[in-house]
Amino acid sequence: MSGSTPPLAPIRPARHARFLDDGQLADLRSATLELLDEVGVHCPSRQVRALYADHGAMVDEAREVVRLPPDLVTRAMAQAPRGYVMGARDPDFDLVLDGTALHVATDGCGIEVLDPVVGRRSSNAADVGTAARLADALPAVGFYWPMLSARDHPRTAPLHELLASYANTVKHVQTETLMGAAPARSAVEMARVIAGDDVTLRTRPPLSALVCTIAPLAQDADGMEGALVLAEAGIPVGFMSMATAGTTGPATVPGTVAAGDAEIVAALTLVQLVHPGAPVFHSLMTGMMDPHTGAYLATPWEGEIAYVVGVELAHAWGVPTLAGVFGTDARTPGWQAAAEAGVALTLSAMAGAETGSGMGLLESCMLFTPEQLVLDADLHERVRCTLAAFDTSREALALDVVKAVGPNGHFLYERHTRDEIRRRRFSPLTGRTAADGSPIEPVEVARAEAARILAEHRPEPLDDAQGRELARIVAAADREAETVQAAVGR
Amino acid sequence: MASSRDTRTATAVSTAGPASSETPPLEPIRSRRRVRFLDDDQLDRLQDGTLRILEEVGVRFPSDTALDILGDHGAMVDRDSQIVRFPRDLVRRALSVAPRTFTMAARDPRFDLQLEDGVSYFTTDGCGVATIDWDTRQQRASRKSDIAEMARIVDYLPSIGFMWPTVSAQDRGRTSQLHEIDAAYNNTVKHFQAMVMGAEPARRAIEMATVLAGSGEALRARPMLSDLICSIAPLAQDHEGLEAALVFAEAGIPVGFLAMPTLGTTAPATSAGALVVGDAEVISGIVLLQLAYPGAPVFHSIMKAWADPRNGNYVGYSLDNRARYAPVEMAHHWGLPSMAACFGTDSPTAGTWQAGVEVALDPFLGGLAGPELVTGLGLDRTYTLLYPEAIILDDDVYQRALHALLAEDVSDEALALDVIANVGPGGHFLAERHTRIHMRTSLKRGLTHELAPEGGYRDPVEVARERVAWIRENHRPEPLDPHKAAELTRILSAADRDLGGAG
Repeated sequence: MSGSTPPLAPIRPARHARFLDDGQLADLRSATLELLDEVGVHCPSRQVRALYADHGAMVDEAREVVRLPPDLVTRAMAQAPRGYVMGARDPDFDLVLDGTALHVATDGCGIEVLDPVVGRRSSNAADVGTAARLADALPAVGFYWPMLSARDHPRTAPLHELLASYANTVKHVQTETLMGAAPARSAVEMARVIAGDDVTLRTRPPLSALVCTIAPLAQDADGMEGALVLAEAGIPVGFMSMATAGTTGPATVPGTVAAGDAEIVAALTLVQLVHPGAPVFHSLMTGMMDPHTGAYLATPWEGEIAYVVGVELAHAWGVPTLAGVFGTDARTPGWQAAAEAGVALTLSAMAGAETGSGMGLLESCMLFTPEQLVLDADLHERVRCTLAAFDTSREALALDVVKAVGPNGHFLYERHTRDEIRRRRFSPLTGRTAADGSPIEPVEVARAEAARILAEHRPEPLDDAQGRELARIVAAADREAETVQAAVGR
Repeated sequence: MASSRDTRTATAVSTAGPASSETPPLEPIRSRRRVRFLDDDQLDRLQDGTLRILEEVGVRFPSDTALDILGDHGAMVDRDSQIVRFPRDLVRRALSVAPRTFTMAARDPRFDLQLEDGVSYFTTDGCGVATIDWDTRQQRASRKSDIAEMARIVDYLPSIGFMWPTVSAQDRGRTSQLHEIDAAYNNTVKHFQAMVMGAEPARRAIEMATVLAGSGEALRARPMLSDLICSIAPLAQDHEGLEAALVFAEAGIPVGFLAMPTLGTTAPATSAGALVVGDAEVISGIVLLQLAYPGAPVFHSIMKAWADPRNGNYVGYSLDNRARYAPVEMAHHWGLPSMAACFGTDSPTAGTWQAGVEVALDPFLGGLAGPELVTGLGLDRTYTLLYPEAIILDDDVYQRALHALLAEDVSDEALALDVIANVGPGGHFLAERHTRIHMRTSLKRGLTHELAPEGGYRDPVEVARERVAWIRENHRPEPLDPHKAAELTRILSAADRDLGGAG
């Protein structure tokens, strides 16, 4: 293991479980096929519509709507790989998506930071790097989503976010803000610099991308055009629907799931038609509208089940998933953020989700505080320990020790106790007391731990030449964006 | 309410005070999905470990009555050490007559718990010793009136299937356990599970339950009381516990044995080792009851804890939550109903991150494993301290699990394909009739999504406090028949006099 980054600790459940039965999954898949065949999706990119048409889709140019015959969809989806590798700058941190482990990413893309000095403020590229360095030190974080928006670079924020991420973590980076063909080409160039060569870029891509669809049943032109550039280079691309029950989806969870799944599958089908076998993933993060405020709610009581349905639907289509885990509507670190997050994470892990994202932001993915990432990592560790295989070995059963101690004795002085109690896992955040014996709130302990990590943790730096090359690519993109802006301005 | 007689009683009482309110129907966790976390081989190994401990090490039974029964039935009894060893075929024979299910009845028969596969009834936590006062918010020793307050909240919450004495009636001295029964019977129509110790207190408790049931036969058919007996780790029973268990079993009152092995002090520092020690204690108690009263209703419970090696503290939560499901599967492997151990955070304060994170998975894991009974909402500081709002916060976690384990509806109405087609790409669903119909019921507002007047959402802990205050102010459970209440008072007075209580 090079550098000081601790090894990853993904959740490897000893038992997987299915929460929907085959009939229900078949019903949901048929619903998607029916919607794609009869209703279609709005596709505002002429280039993308032409590609759909070339491969047999029914395109209504006037309405910019693409409809997909069921056999075209199933044929295309059959080309998608069920698993692949998401590479990292340091190969020890490569993620193998083979269904045995759930790798969880940070949340993104927040727009504000709770700064210990100046209080609440707008986020910038340096914050993306700081959060990446914190994430690098936490074994629970499997890969990094740029947690914040590089708002100091409004035109090329996604590329500055990638630059800050690669400079501050050796882990895999997944962008969730990259849109458009030109930025995608720059991102591919950056990933190639990290990978070192084209073969590595394809076999161990250090970058992946998540592209959002638009509910209901619509695509974003820049999103789709960028996705095709990435897919051509072998960069894993996923599509996420955030259809919301009551506004951009029907007011029932299954209806919203069906509409959201149709958006995702329409996009995945295009990628497979144009670049058969390209690594892709499916991500369904439906929400629910608050009927009184119209707000998007990520974590109502009924919301958890939709996430696990998304996981099982992805697998029914034969592709890996990015599951919705963590993510809280809470405004401060505390009871709510803790109580809301565990069930979706456990459900997703048990359902066999390969990846998930959502650690560390508050206020429905808007606000970053370092301690929330440390707190979420603790919850991740609880789920990891709880779903691990139960040990019934002779050593664990300890019958000889029990026989030696006998009724009414105690185990304190047994060698087995001394050896084994150290292996039991306790939260470093709880049970802490101050010098006067008063309890210290775990949130305070987490805040101190985040500060300690940020003061001490130095991940293996980028190779100088790589760093310069990445900076050059981003600077070129900045200049190009300025030129475009100037031209538009005229 | 339940029977016409009860209704008349309510009417009679309502003339003197506020009318009684309806107790909402129970909402146990009915999991569509059962997950087996341990495989048969692992469960066999654990069971074999228990049988070997029972056969080779034995369990201490400090009761002559118990030693006589066990000796008569072929157990190997050492009178000097009071240690009993159990041949494995004796254990198996005894357990073969234990019922897999039974009824735990309630004052109002609509709240009877018919134990069955796939349904998990939760209880309040127990048995705390301190209370954050309902009105002054100052911490003080717990008392009988706290149980009465909790009983009314229990009565109101659909998540709570039955009640434990959440805190101890410390103001009632040696008869506190009987006063706890009285406080519950007067303030909730639901089943009560007591923690009575000793033969004589057990007889008085049965007398109280008989008042509710009407007769001994009626009580046996629909026991309105159950009792929980704690063993003493490692591998010992409690004298008073055994005496009470035998009296209850004879009367048909369900008895549970609860082992509380602590890794590193009273049990080996490995989970499997701690669980077999706890299992041996529980099984030995159940064997005694089945030998004495074959077919007596019994249940199995292990609550694992840790000695934190960093400071020696007794903690209920490490990072490993497997104790929520492993004991359930062990109980079922024996063919016994299980009471799973959930809730009871180590957080010294309610409504904190720790109080949320520790229990967040409990009812969900419990529901997946399928225990018949589950402890226990409402306490903090490792089940010793009662905060009024804690049960409401725990209830929110419970509701989250309940919804996560509900069957997903993929009917045509739920899939709404026609509505989606009608709205089409890029439209919105706000104006659809389907939205208006389903939006009303699709969002159930938990503590976390109560609207704030200034916009956004309110602090859930504050909402929980208000909800408790509302329940205290407004929920009036169907009162106990005044004649029965008077009879309970008479029994209590006699018990206070005879047993030295401070009632």
